[in-house]
Formats: sequence, C-alpha cells, structure tokens
Amino acid sequence: MQAQSHHDDLAHQDGLAHDDDQDRAASVSAAVTIGKSANEVRSLWLDPATLPRIMEPMARITPRADHTADWEMDAPLGRTLHWRTRRPEETDRLGWTTVDGADVPNTGTLILRPAPGDRGTEVTLKLRFDPPGGLLGSGIARLFHVVPREMAMKALYNFRALALTGEVPTTEPQPAARNGGMDK
Amino acid sequence: MRALCWNGVNDLRVETVADPEILNPKDVILKVGLSTTCGSDLHLIDGLIPTMREGDVLGHEFMGEVVEVGSEVTKVKRGDRVVVPSFVSCGECFHCAQEQYSLCDTSHPKPELAEPILGYPTAGIYGYSHAFGGYSGAHAEYVRVPFADVDCFIVPEDVSDETALFISDAAPTGYMGADFCNIQQGDVIAVWGCGGVGLMAQQSAKIMGAEFVIAIDRYPERLAMAEALGAVAIDYTKVDVVEMLKDLTGGRGPDACIDAVGMEAGGRGIQQAYDRVKQALYLETDRGYALRQAMMACRKGGTLSVLGVYGLMDKFPMGMIINKGLTVRAAQQHGQAYVPRLLEHAQRGELTPAAMATHHFSLEDGPKGYDMFKHKTDGCVRAVFKP
Repeated sequence: MQAQSHHDDLAHQDGLAHDDDQDRAASVSAAVTIGKSANEVRSLWLDPATLPRIMEPMARITPRADHTADWEMDAPLGRTLHWRTRRPEETDRLGWTTVDGADVPNTGTLILRPAPGDRGTEVTLKLRFDPPGGLLGSGIARLFHVVPREMAMKALYNFRALALTGEVPTTEPQPAARNGGMDK
Repeated sequence: MRALCWNGVNDLRVETVADPEILNPKDVILKVGLSTTCGSDLHLIDGLIPTMREGDVLGHEFMGEVVEVGSEVTKVKRGDRVVVPSFVSCGECFHCAQEQYSLCDTSHPKPELAEPILGYPTAGIYGYSHAFGGYSGAHAEYVRVPFADVDCFIVPEDVSDETALFISDAAPTGYMGADFCNIQQGDVIAVWGCGGVGLMAQQSAKIMGAEFVIAIDRYPERLAMAEALGAVAIDYTKVDVVEMLKDLTGGRGPDACIDAVGMEAGGRGIQQAYDRVKQALYLETDRGYALRQAMMACRKGGTLSVLGVYGLMDKFPMGMIINKGLTVRAAQQHGQAYVPRLLEHAQRGELTPAAMATHHFSLEDGPKGYDMFKHKTDGCVRAVFKP
C-alpha cells in the first residue's frame, strides 16, 4: 500500500507558505489491490453501509436515502466538523463530493483498474480537502485528528479487509489495565 | 479477569481487567489453558520495541478451550481444545493464500502505525505492541481469537497441553526456519541459540533429514537439552565457533545457518562491545553478534535462515552475502501452514517440545516467571503460566 501527497496548488496560488510538507498536502491518494473482480469491489463500495464501516472511527458517517451522507469528524480543541456528501452523478464514477455549506469542502474519488495476472482489482482512493482560508492557515495536518494520507490508507485497508473477510479488524473494546479495565 | 500487563520498562504486574468480548462474527473466546514466555517478549519488556501502552496485556504463545463462538464460526465449537499461532491471519487474502500467514493483509487494526516503519502492515500479533496490531495478549484467563476457523487448531487427545502450547509459536517458528534451509541429503545445519525456537529448529532439521545438527549457545543446561534432542553442542565462550564449524564439516562449513537469537545476542570481543554501546545509546536496537557469526561460518552458496527478532540494524555486512552467494530467508512464523504437521510429528513422538517447560507458575506469579526466564535463573528455558 502506498500513499502519496502533493502540494495543494491552491495554497501556492494564495501565496501561503508552510514549512511542513504535510501542512500543504490537501490532496492525497492511497492504493490497495483486492483479490476480487471490479464488479464485486464496485458493488461493495456502493453499499451504503460500507463507507461508515471503513471510515470508523476516523469519521462518523450516516447514510441517507437519497445517496447523500452526513459526515462528522472530530477536530482539535474539542471541535466537530460537519458536512454532507453526495455521490457523483455520472454512474461510472465512484466517490463523493460535499454539498454547499460544508465546514471543509472535500471530494473522494475511487478508481478501479484490473491488477495484473489473477490478482484482482487495483483500488485507488484520492482525497482532496479544500478548507476555507482561515482553517487552512492552521495547516491541513492540524485540521483533523488524523492526517489525510493516513485516512485514505486506513480506509482502503479496511475496505480490502471487508471485501475479503466480511469484517473490519478491530481491538475495541478489549481488556487492558487502563480506562477501568477495558480499552475503548 | 486477571491478566499479566506491561506497565513500562521492566514493570510487569498482574491486574484485574475486563473480560474479552466477541467483536467480529468470526471470533471466538478462549479460556486460556497454558501460556508461555517468549524471548521476543523481552524486547517489549526492555523497551526496545515502541508503541507499547501502559496496561497492555502481554502473551502470544498459548493454547486453551473454546468457550464462546461468534455467529460466523463454522468449524470450531465450544469445548474444543485448541492451539493458536501467535499471528492473527484471515486465510482469505493474497498472502494467506500463499501460506505467508504472518504477512496477512487484513488482520491489522492499526495499519497506520505499521506502514511508516515497514512500508506495509504485517499481520496483527497477540500482545505485541500497537505497531503489530495492539491485540490484547494471552497471559490472561481469557483471550479473544479472531478468524477462529483459520487460526484455531484442534489438539488431538494424545497430545498434551504442554506440547500443544509450544506448537503455538516456538515449534512452528523453528520448523519454518529449518524448512527455509531446503535440507538435502548430507546437509549439516548449524543453529545459533538453544532457547525454545532454537531447540525446535534443531529438532525440525533432524526431522527433515539433516546429516547432523550443531547447536551453539553458552548456557550448559540449554546445550545439554540440545544434545538430548540429538544435536552436537558448542559453547561459544569456550571455542572459536567458525573454526569449530569448519572442523566439524571437513572445511566446507554448515550448509545452512539458522539464527534463533536475534537482537539481544551475547558475544565476545570488540564487535560485541561495539554492539552493546550502540544499543545502550539507542543508536540502534540490535546487537547482531550471532547473525554476523552465522554469515561468516556459512558455507559458500549456503542458506542463512533468520528467525531472531530484529529491529533496525546498521553496519550490516552485505558484502558477505554477495561475495559468498548466500541465500537469506527470514520471516515471522507462518504458523498456520505448519501446525497440522507439527501436531502429527508430536503424535509420532518425533517432536518433543514439552521438555522446554522447565518452570511452572500460576498466572499471579507471572512477573516472577518472566524474571526467571529473562535471567535464565535455575536453568529456566521457558516459564509456563496456568491461569
């Protein structure tokens, strides 16, 4: 699995300068190969229950009946960020776009292509965050508790696990000598 | 329930924690029958592996009885007496399909911690830090086992709990190390380390038809145990190991060398002093004396099979591998590939790991058991805990 980040062109156009590469990484991508056909991968992705499962606990997602979904992400200083997303109108595209009024406008794009040999389907998830100027000033990496490239990578790891095993790996809750004996 | 918990460097305590729960439909809950110490735990206890959290339950080598079964478990039943390899493996992914179970692509709940270290996450491990998944360990009364139909192996009636216990980790790790050597008629195999994994590698090499096996260590009781399993034992503090191995092999050198020591290898001389200083200063995590010696001793074109746990070692003599044309094989144990045949070897009396259980403790005495194991007090090869 590889995740890549590149500089946010908009940030450069705005003349914003950051020392930390991570701060400027408003566009990220990650990829996994899943040993399933593209059709199987596509139908799992389109199941409304999938995105909430693979994004948990990074984001809390509530699917709605009209192919939209409400997202909540925890942010530093006790803030919670909200937005609503909708699926692309083109039926051959997979992913989401935020509708007007999002705290952090963003898009997710899922790209499927056949893997070589009998290795299934290569799945790439591209995330792009376009925070309003004030938020970007504090740096994209500090916008959420999780940095976007980790978010893309972990979501795809979980997506592959769900596709192959029907489960998302978890350890919570489990025994530990903290938090009253249970890790939550 | 009670569980043996890590609370910091050299700080183990038995504490009361919550019981584990079924979290996914392919899980089972095991009532732990026996669990044991492993040399790799010492790296956690000594603080050489990051991403431990205070309160983590240790233990990755265990057997027990199934007491609760998830809704999608079809083969394993309540009441089954089972042994479980230390890596959590799904049986469905690319790597599991190739029997590379410790490289499972789906069992790591925290892949974001592993990817920056290794490039790609490995399988999760019980009780072995959050970079390896953060699964709660088996030094406890109960433990949750995911993917039970893949990872639980029913123990035949004529195999004892103690024998089954070591078929969780020491035996499959040692057996895999011998398997890496692709042993041919007339091959001589040298094994550095006579701990649980080393002893099992030695016995496995014999099972696979090695002409003879040479065991290298410095503790008399461990060397005696290796001899009892049929190996030629060498005390590395008393002889020049490389010269001795040449003598024993007509100048050819061992056809394959197995490193069952890892990052906390003891040794002699200037190289050992250098390794110790760098490790003490946290300039690197590994000493690596055994590995360097194995590379020197191995015959040209031979195989170096690495089972010892390593972190990040610099000053690695790559030229030795290239100029001698060595084949290097290494992995964490792919236990699910080996457990069925190991149980058969045990039934036939060819594999006898139970003798390694030199010291028995209640779970409550777990910290004492680890202390004896760490310092090899009273000839302790393995401390075994019964909850």
